[in-house]
Amino acid sequence: MADPAVSSGGSLTAGARGGSSKAASSPAENYHLARRRTLQVAVSALLTECGFESAEKAAVETLTEMMQSYITEIGRCAKAYCEHTARSIPTLPDTVVALIEMGFNVDTLPVYAKRSQRMVITAPPVTNSPVTPKALSAGQKRTHPAHIPSHFPEFPDPHTYIKTPTFREPVSDYQVVREKAATQRRDVERALTRFMAKTGETQSLFKDDITAFPLIAARPSTIPYLSALLPSELELQTLEETDSSEQDDQTDSENTTGNIINDDPGADKENSMLPPSGGVPSTKASEDNVIDNPYLRPVKKPKVRRKK
Amino acid sequence: MNRKKDKGFESPRPFKLTHQVVCINNINFQRKSVIGYVELTIFPTVVNLNRIKLNSKQCRIYRVRVNELEAPFIYNDPTLEVCHHESKQRNLNYFSSAYTAAVSAVDPDAGHGELVIKVPSELWKQGDDLKVLKVYIEFSLDQPKGGLHFVVPDVEGSMAERGAHVFSFGYQNSTRFWFPCVDSYSELCTWKLEFTVDASMVAVSCGDLVETIYTHDMRKKTFHYVLPIPTAAPNISLAVGPFEILVDPYMHEVTHFCLPQLLPLLKHSMSYLHEIFEFYEEILTCRYPYSCFKTVFVDEAYVQVSSYASMSIFSTNLLHSAMIIDQTPQTRRCLAQALAQQFFGCFISRMSWADEWVLKGISGYIYGLYLKKTFGVNEYRHWIKGELDKIVDYELKMGGVLLHPTFSGGKEKDNPTPHLHFSIKHPHTLSWEYYKMFQCKAHLVMRLIENRISMEFMLQVFNKLLSLASTASSQKYQSHMWSQMLLSTHAFLKSISNVSGKDIGPLIKQWVDQSGVVKFFGSFAFNRKRNVLELEIRQDYTSSGTQKYVGPIKVTVQELDGSFNHTLQIEENSLKHDIPCHSKSRRNKKKKIPLMNGEEVDMDLSAMDADSPLLWIRIDPDMSILRKVEFEQADFMWQYQLRYERDVVAQEEAISALEKFPTPASRLALTDILEQEQCFYKVRMQACFCLARIANAMVSTWQGPPAMKSLFTRMFCCKSCPNIVKTNNFINFQSYFLQKTMPVAMALLRDVQNLCPKDVLNFILDLIKYNDNRKNKFSDNYYRAELIEALTNSLTPAISINNEVRTVDNLNADVRLILEEITRFLNMEKLLPSFRNTITVSCLRAIRQLQKNGHIPSDPSLFKSYAQYGHFVDVRIAALEALVDYTRVERSATELQWLLVMVQNDPAHYVRHKILGMLCKNPPFTKTTDSALCNEALVDQLWKLMNSGTSHDWRLRCDAVNLYYTLFGLTRPSCLPLPELGLVLNLKEKKAVLNPTIKPELGVSTVMDTPASIGIHGVDEEPDPISLGVCGVGQPPQGLKRKAETPLGSPPEPGQILQQQDDDARGGRYKIRFNTMEDEDIDMETVHDSQAFIHHHLNLLERPSTPGKEPPSVEQTMLTMPSTPAPSFSKETTSLSSKHSSEHSHHHHHHHHEHKKKKKKHKHKHKHKHKHESKDKEKERERDNSHVYSNSPASGRSLRSPSLSD
Repeated sequence: MADPAVSSGGSLTAGARGGSSKAASSPAENYHLARRRTLQVAVSALLTECGFESAEKAAVETLTEMMQSYITEIGRCAKAYCEHTARSIPTLPDTVVALIEMGFNVDTLPVYAKRSQRMVITAPPVTNSPVTPKALSAGQKRTHPAHIPSHFPEFPDPHTYIKTPTFREPVSDYQVVREKAATQRRDVERALTRFMAKTGETQSLFKDDITAFPLIAARPSTIPYLSALLPSELELQTLEETDSSEQDDQTDSENTTGNIINDDPGADKENSMLPPSGGVPSTKASEDNVIDNPYLRPVKKPKVRRKK
Repeated sequence: MNRKKDKGFESPRPFKLTHQVVCINNINFQRKSVIGYVELTIFPTVVNLNRIKLNSKQCRIYRVRVNELEAPFIYNDPTLEVCHHESKQRNLNYFSSAYTAAVSAVDPDAGHGELVIKVPSELWKQGDDLKVLKVYIEFSLDQPKGGLHFVVPDVEGSMAERGAHVFSFGYQNSTRFWFPCVDSYSELCTWKLEFTVDASMVAVSCGDLVETIYTHDMRKKTFHYVLPIPTAAPNISLAVGPFEILVDPYMHEVTHFCLPQLLPLLKHSMSYLHEIFEFYEEILTCRYPYSCFKTVFVDEAYVQVSSYASMSIFSTNLLHSAMIIDQTPQTRRCLAQALAQQFFGCFISRMSWADEWVLKGISGYIYGLYLKKTFGVNEYRHWIKGELDKIVDYELKMGGVLLHPTFSGGKEKDNPTPHLHFSIKHPHTLSWEYYKMFQCKAHLVMRLIENRISMEFMLQVFNKLLSLASTASSQKYQSHMWSQMLLSTHAFLKSISNVSGKDIGPLIKQWVDQSGVVKFFGSFAFNRKRNVLELEIRQDYTSSGTQKYVGPIKVTVQELDGSFNHTLQIEENSLKHDIPCHSKSRRNKKKKIPLMNGEEVDMDLSAMDADSPLLWIRIDPDMSILRKVEFEQADFMWQYQLRYERDVVAQEEAISALEKFPTPASRLALTDILEQEQCFYKVRMQACFCLARIANAMVSTWQGPPAMKSLFTRMFCCKSCPNIVKTNNFINFQSYFLQKTMPVAMALLRDVQNLCPKDVLNFILDLIKYNDNRKNKFSDNYYRAELIEALTNSLTPAISINNEVRTVDNLNADVRLILEEITRFLNMEKLLPSFRNTITVSCLRAIRQLQKNGHIPSDPSLFKSYAQYGHFVDVRIAALEALVDYTRVERSATELQWLLVMVQNDPAHYVRHKILGMLCKNPPFTKTTDSALCNEALVDQLWKLMNSGTSHDWRLRCDAVNLYYTLFGLTRPSCLPLPELGLVLNLKEKKAVLNPTIKPELGVSTVMDTPASIGIHGVDEEPDPISLGVCGVGQPPQGLKRKAETPLGSPPEPGQILQQQDDDARGGRYKIRFNTMEDEDIDMETVHDSQAFIHHHLNLLERPSTPGKEPPSVEQTMLTMPSTPAPSFSKETTSLSSKHSSEHSHHHHHHHHEHKKKKKKHKHKHKHKHKHESKDKEKERERDNSHVYSNSPASGRSLRSPSLSD
């Protein structure tokens, strides 16, 4: 009679194990899954105990969920009571009070625990700690130093923290990276412009198929020179990034100004490199008070006797 | 020559202006209006000054007071509407002369003006003591169309937040558009300028800002400027706006102004201005003459740079950030130009229009010196060569450019440039292109003078002129020294002769008093026996725009032994010159070959002619003649010249010559130059294009990968993966320019099918794909724009099957790729706009090219939307260019209309000017072609445009005149219906019925089409070898009253010859020949009359008139003008250069001979002979008679029609 239940429980644990090994996503998740499986086994056992031969998966799930909620609530309540009394670890009376509070007759518990037909649930199998794949083994596994008690967890496997430089063929790599960067940029640009074209007004080059090469409609702006002259944010960003590299170019800009420069367009270079943040404006800032420029003078109050 | 006479300056006015106050109380941006007053302090120079003539246009004048007394005034502007009645004439000759007359009538240099003020009689009774008069004029301007430009962006917020601003502008002396003044460069006075503006705005004007005072309500402030240096009114300007202010960190007296948000750009762009200052002050050994300098950057500028006394107004589009490479030198050039004009043009002003060349010349010349110093000798020589090529091309195409026109006798009839369709007597009648070429020639001539007298003397002369002027400027008016600040040709030449002691008379005579350039043809032979180089230099001095050169010429011969200069004398008859050579061919000695600059190089001499020691020959290497040289030498000599001559001009000449020699050796020479990093980058860029052309010429024998591909790969691609371009690093500008140019040139390559090779296209697409600018500190916008241009260049005409409609489906695969790139670029630009929207500009060009080549449907709507006001100006121009092209290709009347409407209505003056300019360059049809677009409505529209629609902008009016000329020619547009005349006399005999393609004018063909039609038709046409003028009479057109008074009323003159052709039942066909001289007599007389009328009315009108309205009496005068008699072709024939007319007369002889009209022929001969003899005389007369409007065929010149006399 118990066969189906056992078999179901067995298959469940098996499934849980298989799941844990297969899905191996994250340890926390694994733990969570395992706990859930254990609960499910318990629920299945109770069902078998009550005489069910089989149960729908959904029903089992629901019951498991209820059970989990119940246990969680007990825990939460017990914890609350213990904290209420300024302790940190719940004691048995806390739990008892919690159960009573939840309307459970505590006195029935010993009887129920000693019932004859109860099923023994095997402990969930201890999963072996994952074996480090050969490829990842690196360095020496460290043991605890003397001052750390031995029951403390061991150090993680060295491959998780040791820096191992790796090399690949640089040639192909560069090419691939460039290729990838180019394609990516192009795809992004295309997607973006397509999106903009789809969501806004467009112009088309073809009469027959206006969606073929959609052009974002030209929209006159009120102050067209601003966007045309001011560098875009992207360019400004680039400028900032490259700014540091131009320090050394600056020095030779001063001494060459007097000479006649032959066929050297470097002349442009020198001056265009005079950064706006160079030496000059800083001196200017300090001299600002001294500058006597009529446009900087304060505007005068009208005289009572007006001129002319 | 009156230059010799004009010792001092004589004012054309009976008074002298000493001081002027301009006060603008209110500037309303909402209404675009201005209110203010001026007060002129004048000293009468005659007793009984009863009239004061001032200049004023479009100002509404409320009151005029002279010394506190109300004074009556007349306001009359004949330039508002040039031809005054609904004339059917529509001929440009007529218009041009009427326009010149109108401009002359108000010319301040002749003492005239639009505003005539009658001095109250109380004042002139004061008599002899020549008291100071103060003329006070209140005026306002409402929505000015010229003179002041309001930019008011249509957004929310206050005017300051919106960036609204206003600034003065104009072409030459145009100050009269915004306040009444004596609008002449030669009338100097001191100034007090006051501008009351909104408290959030700044008013920038000439002179020193003395103080700024709030008004009582504190909502406005008044800027008080004082300009103590005597300055001419045209050099006064104003800019008002919410400008950001930057005091120059190096020179605190210099202040820069820009529109809100652009301050960072301003800081960067102005960071090198002080260097330009230092340079000019150093070479001129003279301080900057004004106590301060202001630069203002405004939107929708009229021109990029305009200089006024102590300030310059620039286009805001010159500002740029540190990331921009290409704009940097351009902006710097503009600043240097502006500053050069501060010294010569603003501080020193011209005495008369004929002296303009000196000032433009000097400022252009010192600007050139700045270029040489800053950008290097190579750049300078490259620039000079470019300028020389430009002026030579222009003069050879359009006829001569005359720097110093003299108008002998002070009469206005004089026309020293009969080849032009406009008068050069006034700056305001000049075509813009001509003026640009004028400036170009002026500075080249200054350089010639420098060559002659040395730079040291040249600079001394400038210094002397400046110190004279600055001494004069500090004097009080009473010292009569101010005229020292005016520069005349005479004073300049005198100064040169004083300083240098050299006589540059011949040089001036050749290049300044005379128009035209020299055209040399050179070839040579080496005489081995005598070891002599026999050089032959011929000249073409008969074609238009050329002149004969007599004098020294330098020839440089590079031999194996070295480089040798020879100075040859070009004389009347000597063509051949023997030049002894130094080296016998001694190639075997392995010796280095010395070059001109002292360098010794190894050369591979195997390509040489074994017998000759000549490596290459250069004629006039220093460009010391304004000339074009076509020199023949062997291809290997050009190749040597390209490789080893160190002068960039020689290299560029060699490159253009090598285009004719598509051989592997040329290819190698060009590739070597391309790779040579020491070589000037512009030469290398030019080599790219030459290489592409050579590759195309030798496409069948070309070996290896497409030209330049491997070179580009080597220079700019990754070592490890040659198909991927390196990430951009433009730190080396030479490589940058090369990297930009090579793909553009490569895209011009064609394979045997005349298509762009597939791997070139893929290569360019890869460049676009792998372009990566992330690590670059410079913007790559110009580079990307050039890559798009490369794609454009790769396009070839689509193969069209049965003219099917272009659809997406039948798009060529390559074109699809190109189109995808363009779409992406254009769309990305909307999200991340590039500097000056260069990418959009390139994309628009590419799309037009795709349309033109038939890959995508030709459609103007996209361009129309980009041409709208509100796009960046470069984008608009590019779109408009595409539209102009569309109009021509598709012959679209709607688009032409659309463009013309924009010319009339667009807010930006520059755009209007550009549209007309582009229509002239790429006209929808021309006077020699036939087009459905050419119709009466268009003629009327254009006529109206130039007659009255453009009166607010001289430049635009001249542009309209140019367009009219391009479309219809000088004479009556052919598409106009026949004038209302009764009888056509077709005088062509059968044999003379010409192939219509030879006929320049449709009018002729009309006649030929209907040979039997009866009616009178006036034919006017370009002088044609065979056809003779046809004139008819019938009902004389309007205004014939005057006819009776003219000599025309008399029976046929002896000189008028009637020729009856074979009577072939077609009815009366006659040949008529008028005595041209007599026609001119008539013209002259009528012109005199109308001139007199204008003057009369201007002087004698007693009642004030409303501004802008013509007094009816003037209208009457004008009415008579078009009705003046006109012989059909008198002007044509005589206005042509002498050689032409002689040719033509020869043709006439021939023609008549053929027709065996012996008797008549005799007469003809006689007449022509007479004509020859009296040619000079005629010319002279004609000069007195520029008023050729009387030539219209429509007018009834031929009262005595042949038929009637028959």
